[in-house]
Amino acid sequence: MAYKPQYYPGATSVAANRRKHMSGDVEKLREISDDDLVMILGHRPPGSDYRSTHPPLAEMGEPECSIRQTVEPTPGAKAGDRVRYVQFVDSMYNGTSVPYFRSYNAAIKFRGVDPGTLSGRQVVEARERDMEEVAKFQIETEMFDPALSSLRGATVHGHSLRLQEDGVMFDMLDRARLESDGIVKMHKDQVGRPIDKKVELGKPMSPKEAAKRTTIYRVDNVAYRSDKEVLEWVHRVFDQRTKYGFKPE
Amino acid sequence: MAADKKMFAKHLEIKFTKEHGANKMEGGKITDMVGKYYRLGVEQNPRKLEMKKAGQELAKKRGLVGYNPMMHCGGIPLGQRALTPSFISGTDMMVEIDDLHYVNNAAMQQMWDDIRRTVIVGIDLAHETLEKRLGIEVTPETINFYLETLNHALPGGAVVQEHMVETHPALVDDCYCKIFTGDDELADEIDKQFLIDINKEFPAEQAEQLKAAIGKTTWQAAHIPTVVSRVTDGAQTSRWMAMQVGMSFISAYSMCAGEAAVADLSYAAKHAGVISMGEMLPARRARGPNEPGGISFGHLADIVQTSRIDPEDPAHVALEVVGAGCMLYDQIWLGSYMSGGVGFTQYATAAYTNNILDDNLYYDVDYINDKYNGAAKKGTDNKVKATLQVVKDIATESTLYGLENYEKYPTALEDHFGGSQRATVLSAAAGAATAIATGNGNAGLSGWYLCMYLHKEAHGRLGFFGFDLQDQCGATNVLSYQSDEGLPVELRGPNYPNYAMNVGHQGGYAAIASAAHAGRGDAYAVNPLIKVCFADSLLPFDFTAPRKEFGRGALREFMPAGERSLIIPAK
Repeated sequence: MAYKPQYYPGATSVAANRRKHMSGDVEKLREISDDDLVMILGHRPPGSDYRSTHPPLAEMGEPECSIRQTVEPTPGAKAGDRVRYVQFVDSMYNGTSVPYFRSYNAAIKFRGVDPGTLSGRQVVEARERDMEEVAKFQIETEMFDPALSSLRGATVHGHSLRLQEDGVMFDMLDRARLESDGIVKMHKDQVGRPIDKKVELGKPMSPKEAAKRTTIYRVDNVAYRSDKEVLEWVHRVFDQRTKYGFKPE
Repeated sequence: MAADKKMFAKHLEIKFTKEHGANKMEGGKITDMVGKYYRLGVEQNPRKLEMKKAGQELAKKRGLVGYNPMMHCGGIPLGQRALTPSFISGTDMMVEIDDLHYVNNAAMQQMWDDIRRTVIVGIDLAHETLEKRLGIEVTPETINFYLETLNHALPGGAVVQEHMVETHPALVDDCYCKIFTGDDELADEIDKQFLIDINKEFPAEQAEQLKAAIGKTTWQAAHIPTVVSRVTDGAQTSRWMAMQVGMSFISAYSMCAGEAAVADLSYAAKHAGVISMGEMLPARRARGPNEPGGISFGHLADIVQTSRIDPEDPAHVALEVVGAGCMLYDQIWLGSYMSGGVGFTQYATAAYTNNILDDNLYYDVDYINDKYNGAAKKGTDNKVKATLQVVKDIATESTLYGLENYEKYPTALEDHFGGSQRATVLSAAAGAATAIATGNGNAGLSGWYLCMYLHKEAHGRLGFFGFDLQDQCGATNVLSYQSDEGLPVELRGPNYPNYAMNVGHQGGYAAIASAAHAGRGDAYAVNPLIKVCFADSLLPFDFTAPRKEFGRGALREFMPAGERSLIIPAK
């Protein structure tokens, strides 16, 4: 019988959405061009070559090594790309993703990634072209809402602040704005440097849509208390970790 | 608990719906999910304006630039959202948050000074040496005379030498030594100016516990000058005390300064019964005794004195220890000794401002008393047995309640805008509540870790890098069969494995240690000598009310010790 990952417990929509993020089976909602992505990431000018930290692996005369033969290098590693980052911030007001589930998505679906999970932000470091693949995937799918998610290299506390009056997550550096045409546009890159043209991220989800797609429990949407199976599972993890320390067998 | 009964409601309303300075925060409700962002910068806040002006004057005076708020984010200053004041929990003291950095707060500095410059030294071995080795009679009168001599010598007065330099009394006026004993008969004979009177300072029930623990032994509670401690370090405290003790014995008992017997006395009087507030740290952290990283959570629980003035309210005891611990361990130890800068302060203050933690813990107390027949009241017969089931029940309810507050009150969430802040507050509530109910510190610790797991799953985030380093592995260590990992919380400290990194934890752990014992009505958590030593109103810092003292410091009402005004030009 083929193994089918269960990913996550829970009977609520939040739990179901978490399973989707972990499995990578998420809905594509928008497109971002490669040049636009490169521009908001801010690591290199659009259209320029990737900078490298070493020659392509094929030119390096690598030693005989069973691990090297077993593990296919990622495209970025193969080319010798430097390691760069993408960092997401998700509002606690029904942002569609949350830091841990961005990390799980990156670690499960992609290779050669190094996710870091904090409270306000979630960073993925990888060889540059590999990182871009993760960033593109997460921006183009339901893991991203132009109003409640954001690319922010620094000053990330907006995640827990009240929303702006236009429903957009507050950003100290004002990197993205909801403009009069109803489209959220970035006019700074992820660390807040002005960019040459505005990059469209798309229309914000309606509050109802965000509440449907979110992966955060909230008492005014899907209450954590109501997901008995998740609580039971956390208790089980706690029990087992405690008992194992006492009697590791 | 209805909205109007939330302990944080009044403070959050003033903080978030009333104008402060020129921040335009008038109007709205603390439950609003949407706010106005005026991006007013530092001009909106009185303290920031004062600091900006001082920075400009500094640059002009020295010809070298200094503080300039426009250096923030390449020209986008702090204050893109409203800069709001905070209230010190348990008080109505409204303070600027800048004034809760210890550099800006004389009370915080003094709290640490008063701990670092304290050493407890036994006197019985010295007396035995005097009597048995030297044939000198020791009586209450000679002890009083010795103490008078020591209180001249300890600040830096000469007693034996001739033509010696001395320290100016006005610069070392906070230095002194008192004595305490479990022997009521001896205590009666000691000059009251030198005595920490256990019967007077503690409730009768606690006094009996302390005297039983201390027995007939007698101890000196010594505080060297703040200025000495600041110029040197915590490890200096016992050395300074030792030198002056030795000289005082020689002088008070008319001893020969050179005979071999004095070497016996020296060891007995100076080193044989020394209790430091903190243990020496290993080389990788390289600090001597009496530095914050070596102060166990149990010691800090004993240093804080709330338990003797409000013994019927274990939650209050724990909350004061949280405040003291977050300031000492997070702001000073991790925030400066181990790291640097200002970030730790922002995180630590969450635990002792705006009554958010207080609200959570007192909710828990009500929950426990309702469900477990008054188990959160002071006592030993009313405790609930510390089982994993009880830990899960109390810690889960505490965590869900706290999480829901953040969800129902966006201003509370905004006040604790970092996950580390929320994790501290939620876990401190869960841990302290469990400890109060069970009278068991490690059960409280267990509640702390379960809270971390629950919080992480609820919001899909936790603290700095998920607090993976210490919290995700923490439950495994609570009851570990390995002795160093499974240490009782009272004996753990900032240098316990895995506890050395993350902000917002150590004050909470200290609170758990204190909560377990306050819940039982114990007079002390781990060391009766330390508890008595700090039961002393002559200390500049009032250890019965650390949070209020921090407020006084922030309001610039606190008078510290160790000032140098006497020897510097008047401004």
